[in-house]
Amino acid sequence: MQLKVYHRTEYHYHAPVYDSINEVKLSPRDANGQVCKSCIVSVVPPVKLNPYIDLNGNRAHHFEIPEPHQRLVIEARMRMETAATIKIEDLPYGVEMSSLRELGKRDDCRPFLQSSPYVEVNPEVWREAIDMMDESSDVFQTSYAIMATIFKEYKYDPGATVVTTHANEVVKKRQGVCQDFAHAMVALCRSLTIPARYVSGYFFDATRDNSLRGSEATHAWVEVFVEGHGWIGLDPTNNKVVDDTYIVLATGRDYTDVAPVSGSYYGGGTSKLKVHVAVRRVR
Amino acid sequence: MLSRVADSLYWLGRYVERAENLARIVEVTRREDLESFRHDPSDSLWKPVLFATCVQEEDKELETPDDPAHFITLDRKNPASIANCIAGARENARVVRDQISEEMWLELNSIHLFLRSDAAERSFHDDPDGLFRRIIRFSIIFQGLTQSTILQDEGWHFSRLGKFIERADKTSRILDTLTFRTGEPSAMALLAVLRSCSGFTAFRSEYRDDNSFRNVASFLFFSVNFPRSIRFCLRRINEALLEISGTSDGFFTNEAERLTGRTLAQINFTDVDQLFKAGLHQSVDELQQNLNDIGQCIFENYVLLPSELRDVVRTEGLQHSLLQQHRQKQQ
Amino acid sequence: MRLGRDLERVGLDGGAGVDGGPETDDVRRHRDQAVVFISGSVIERDADSHGLRLCCRIQTSANKNQERSGIPEWSASVTAFVWHGVCIEFGHPMFTDYATDGFFDEMFSAKGGQAFPHYAKIRDQIGSMSDEQLREKQRHLDASFLEQGVTFTVYGDGDHGTERIFPFDPLPRVIPADEWQVIEDGLTQRIIALNLFLNDIYHEGKIIKDGIVPEEVVKTAAHYRPEMVGVDVPQNIYMHICGSDLIRDDEGNYLVLEDNGRCPSGASYVLENREAMKRAFPKLYQSLGVRPVGDYPALLRKTLEFLSPRQAGMPVCVLLTPGLYNSAYFEHSFLAKQMGIEIVEGRDLVAVDGYVYMRTTRGLVQVDVIYRRIDDDFLDPTVFRKDSLLGVPGIMEAYLKGNVVLANALGTGVADDKVTYAYVPDMIKYYLDQDPILNNVPTFLGWRKKDRNHMLENLENLVVKAANESGGYGMLMGPSSTKAERAEFAEKIRENPRNYVAQPVVSLSRHPTICPEGIEGRHVDLRPFVLCGEDIEIIPGGLTRVALNKGSLVVNSSQGGGSKDTWVL
Repeated sequence: MQLKVYHRTEYHYHAPVYDSINEVKLSPRDANGQVCKSCIVSVVPPVKLNPYIDLNGNRAHHFEIPEPHQRLVIEARMRMETAATIKIEDLPYGVEMSSLRELGKRDDCRPFLQSSPYVEVNPEVWREAIDMMDESSDVFQTSYAIMATIFKEYKYDPGATVVTTHANEVVKKRQGVCQDFAHAMVALCRSLTIPARYVSGYFFDATRDNSLRGSEATHAWVEVFVEGHGWIGLDPTNNKVVDDTYIVLATGRDYTDVAPVSGSYYGGGTSKLKVHVAVRRVR
Repeated sequence: MLSRVADSLYWLGRYVERAENLARIVEVTRREDLESFRHDPSDSLWKPVLFATCVQEEDKELETPDDPAHFITLDRKNPASIANCIAGARENARVVRDQISEEMWLELNSIHLFLRSDAAERSFHDDPDGLFRRIIRFSIIFQGLTQSTILQDEGWHFSRLGKFIERADKTSRILDTLTFRTGEPSAMALLAVLRSCSGFTAFRSEYRDDNSFRNVASFLFFSVNFPRSIRFCLRRINEALLEISGTSDGFFTNEAERLTGRTLAQINFTDVDQLFKAGLHQSVDELQQNLNDIGQCIFENYVLLPSELRDVVRTEGLQHSLLQQHRQKQQ
Repeated sequence: MRLGRDLERVGLDGGAGVDGGPETDDVRRHRDQAVVFISGSVIERDADSHGLRLCCRIQTSANKNQERSGIPEWSASVTAFVWHGVCIEFGHPMFTDYATDGFFDEMFSAKGGQAFPHYAKIRDQIGSMSDEQLREKQRHLDASFLEQGVTFTVYGDGDHGTERIFPFDPLPRVIPADEWQVIEDGLTQRIIALNLFLNDIYHEGKIIKDGIVPEEVVKTAAHYRPEMVGVDVPQNIYMHICGSDLIRDDEGNYLVLEDNGRCPSGASYVLENREAMKRAFPKLYQSLGVRPVGDYPALLRKTLEFLSPRQAGMPVCVLLTPGLYNSAYFEHSFLAKQMGIEIVEGRDLVAVDGYVYMRTTRGLVQVDVIYRRIDDDFLDPTVFRKDSLLGVPGIMEAYLKGNVVLANALGTGVADDKVTYAYVPDMIKYYLDQDPILNNVPTFLGWRKKDRNHMLENLENLVVKAANESGGYGMLMGPSSTKAERAEFAEKIRENPRNYVAQPVVSLSRHPTICPEGIEGRHVDLRPFVLCGEDIEIIPGGLTRVALNKGSLVVNSSQGGGSKDTWVL
């Protein structure tokens, strides 16, 4: 699918701020069936954009704004060609839970089995996960069951949580938005020793009635590692196996690793944040 | 709408009307002249016509050109000639080209090019009636197009204003030629005046054969239904002004409306006896002064900046140049 | 009677169509086609030669052996023309003699002479028209342009000027979707970088402090406006409308020749050309599924309204024109009308107490956004050129206070300067951390050591020009220069390196164009129009300009250029 994304993040400061240092992870890389045809990240006030690749292999940019300013606008415009890596007729069943033990030794899985800033692997979470997994001994099936349970039983409520809400709270209270659902699912999977990572990105709502959630903002979902098949995307907010309507921006242990825009600055006063995301299909 | 555009539409309407009226007058006078037995140049029929239609500095005796018909029709050195009126109309049309329909522009452009060409000169010598008819037909077509192809909004009202002010002015001037000489005007002179206004048939249906000075004056001043009468024109002027400002009849919101209302009321409530008692020439003079004032007030109200801003130094230059322009056109 | 004889030779009778008629020797011999069946015929009197012309559809049989019997298999159906029964042409007669002459051609591949797939339908339809039919189409088109008034004015001495149609060629230029996608991405990237650059140099100047662009290149640019330093413009957009001229090198790569960020013109011709082409070739147009351009005025208006400082109510936008006597006046009034905004001249506006007003019959109406087609220099006689009659005294005060918006902003000329042009790839790298998607024509700057060395070593292949507009240092046309001239220039460059820039000789691509002698290749360029407002919108296609004179590379209307419609699939 050919998709076009326009993502705009705007900060308004009531009083001028200065010495602002920022990181953005807004450039998707070619992977998992997606090809980035073009991606332009631009910042106002104009800055020199310094690129780097982070520990998770995500493309990132770093920039500084030393001078006083009251407005910061970050825009990303991208054109992507996506392809589903998983076919509906060929879902990655067949990997036993018992084989998960071996994965702990792999470098590319270990970080995603341990606790991280937003996610803690603890007995309470494990108990919840056991309930969700039914009697399945299949990795993908279990992961899918966790996703479906979250979708069915958790309440999607934008006002219920904040950006710093920890996975523990989400698992306990069973409410939140896509970021929280993803954190919860990551926690639940990891507690069952299924390597799970947090994904930030966008998706295109192809349904006629726009019933899917999260298409007007940056979205978050989960990828679980199924041996022999690689990282498989599952979206607990919409109960979907990730297909060609999704665009991956960055992956990591949790939100800390993938935040689209993060940074710090000097200055008092309050700030207002406006985010606008538009995902369109190109004919 | 932009003041400059309103101004141009006003003058466009005015110039086209003027060209048509001149064509009518010249056509009739030429024909009368041919039939007259007099060959005394000092007593020519053209003197009053020239007086009525041309630019004239006060207290200067107007010299009769050798070929007055040509002078009024095609002579480019005569600022009030038909050719120059059309040129003026075209200049104004250019300014507002996006407001008028393409057909209007093409008609105007084509008559303008024709009048500047040798073909027009030849036509004047070989078939002058054909020439005048062509000019009159152009005006009729142009007015028809104005009526049917442009939006009948503010702009359209401004062009009507120009047309009817011009028409009222010309009718009064033509009438005034009868007072040029002392004594009662001849039957032929009366006829010529009626024909110049294309009013012969209409007059006959209102007054039958009673072709008197009084009746002609009454007809041209007071006729309710004749489209070239002064009263008819003033009513249209009044209507147009009220449409522009959205005011109801009987009220006024600016000086132009007030003057028009008053002048119209005077005409509505005067009769021909009053006219002659005051003196026809004086009455015509007064009317023309009123028309001038109305024109000036329209300009001041809709084109110039509001009065509070006249004191601003920066804009003085602009105002001055506009006023200059206007004065030139007034003639 | 001639008629009978002609018909005899092609084996027809009486002018009525005959299906499956007998073949003739003449026909057979031509191009070794097997059997020719003639169906449907029209006989016309040929105006030029007073002879008779038989136009009919001739279908060829694929199978050489198949003769009159049965139902033959038709291969390609072609339209052929018979002149006095003498010869019949098959195929696409209009293109049979077309030569690409070693240049990159938009329609025909240099190797093998095949038309590119996206031109196949055009080759088939237009290629099988007769010369007469094609010229008839051209006449129709020209007449409709004249009628619509799609003209530009050429002023002679003291005259009211003659209005001429901008010459139009009916053969459309076609750009396939994937090629256009790259152009779109490249232009988007470029306008973002240019706007960031303008923002930067009028504020912190980071790109200068970091040594990427020399300060004097910016400060000595002819259109740099010190008045704009520290001024914040609405939405931080300086260039709202940009027309970047694209050309293709001999391998077909799109290159940016220059950016026009001041008052790029030609959009009105794009719209009018499209309307004309839709009338002239409706079926062809529809069958190709060309992307429409008709919403340009609406998009432009949306862009203007987006900039308005007014908090509530509908923004008042106007188009400021130098007036009737400007050669682009047609475009100004056309666009204003299409957008539904008022067209004004300087004298219609007045600035009072830091606000700008329109003089209307209702009094003064405040203006929010001015789409100005007047150069910076003439905008305000109290600030810039004192002798300007086109501007509005005091408009700068209102602008700097933020009470009125100018599109494009003041001072955008720095970005479309010949010298800053060379730094655009560096701007893209600096602000966006990217390589340019659309490359510049390689440009060498005398004051950059590496460039200077290249220039000195390659003078015979380069065109060397003066760096700043005031010039006067002459120009060297490398390929046609003598050794002595080159040596002299090399000396000049060594002495005053900062006065010179150089580019390789640029070859433009060619496109089939209707010329007096038939269809021949003529050089073309492309000017797409980029709008930068709430989002970046680019009209699919743009104005393809064609240099009508044989061998000429000059596409300007005033110097023998014309235009074509551009169809993006």
